[in-house]
Amino acid sequence: MPPPTPPLPDHPILVVGAGGIGAPAALALGHAGVTRLCIVDDDQVELGNLHRQILFDEGDVGTDKLAALRRALVRRLPALEIELRPGRALPDTALELCAGAAVVIDATDNFASRFLLADAAHLAGVPIVHAAAVRWQATVLAVAAAGRPCYRCLFEDVPAGVLVDCATAGVAGPVCGVSGALAADRALDLCQGRAPGTILTYDGERDRLREVAVAARRDCPLCGEHPTIGSLDAARYMPPACEGSD
Amino acid sequence: MAVTVRIPTPLRPLTGGMDEVSASGATVLEIIEDLDKRHPGVRDRLLDGGKVRRFVDIFVGPEDIRFLDGAATVVTDGAELTILPAIAGGRAGH
Repeated sequence: MPPPTPPLPDHPILVVGAGGIGAPAALALGHAGVTRLCIVDDDQVELGNLHRQILFDEGDVGTDKLAALRRALVRRLPALEIELRPGRALPDTALELCAGAAVVIDATDNFASRFLLADAAHLAGVPIVHAAAVRWQATVLAVAAAGRPCYRCLFEDVPAGVLVDCATAGVAGPVCGVSGALAADRALDLCQGRAPGTILTYDGERDRLREVAVAARRDCPLCGEHPTIGSLDAARYMPPACEGSD
Repeated sequence: MAVTVRIPTPLRPLTGGMDEVSASGATVLEIIEDLDKRHPGVRDRLLDGGKVRRFVDIFVGPEDIRFLDGAATVVTDGAELTILPAIAGGRAGH
């Protein structure tokens, strides 16, 4: 029997990215009693996705991830209200997407989108969970509606160089599932007004889950004392050349 | 100063798969330089010039060095450093 569910928001939870992290997050939220989701994605299911995007199967290959995810969710949760938004979150759409949401889950696969959503959620006054996975590592950061500390407090700006070679990094399937589940858990926390001010890191090689405190930077350009980011200027989100889709 | 450095999974190919390694130095910068001698390539992944890359966070114990002295942060013997890189997503599967 599931635990009692506290009151959940009337506004939808916005899930940006319907892949290895976004799909399990959506499923977990639906099972937790969330009644409305809005899901954003522009991609199609590929055979190489199936090891980590476990709500899809071979019959979904070649179809839109949004449609495939809706089928998978409705089969399990027929009462779940799902709005599909084909496309990517872009500088001219991100603010509108975030503004109508109770919480945003950033389940994207590239830094440009992550910083864009961080900025958009902050400007819209909407809490956000950033969930990521690469190789055997997942990280999940929840940011309250008040917006401090934020993603930029921790990682500052779109990387001009890369720590990991994007073309060969890969990601272990179970790590995506953990990231999605943790993202859903943190989103539910945010719905209840709880923001722990920590980043969760999961090491799938050693099976270690750690929680590290995050502090707000006074000079953060988004949430600091003298913020300089007041709009979503497309030039701010130019990705490095190696970034691609998940 | 001898310290223990926790290596995140994206950097483990440089450390032969080890998740914790030892290093020496009086500051975070010296420790990274020492790490690079033992595990070539680490420096370039963590530093841009003499500064820690903007999308990498390093903690000495529980403290984020951004709120201390950055790469010049002094470490004590036996300290534990944690490297936390920003990650986005992966493509090819394992």
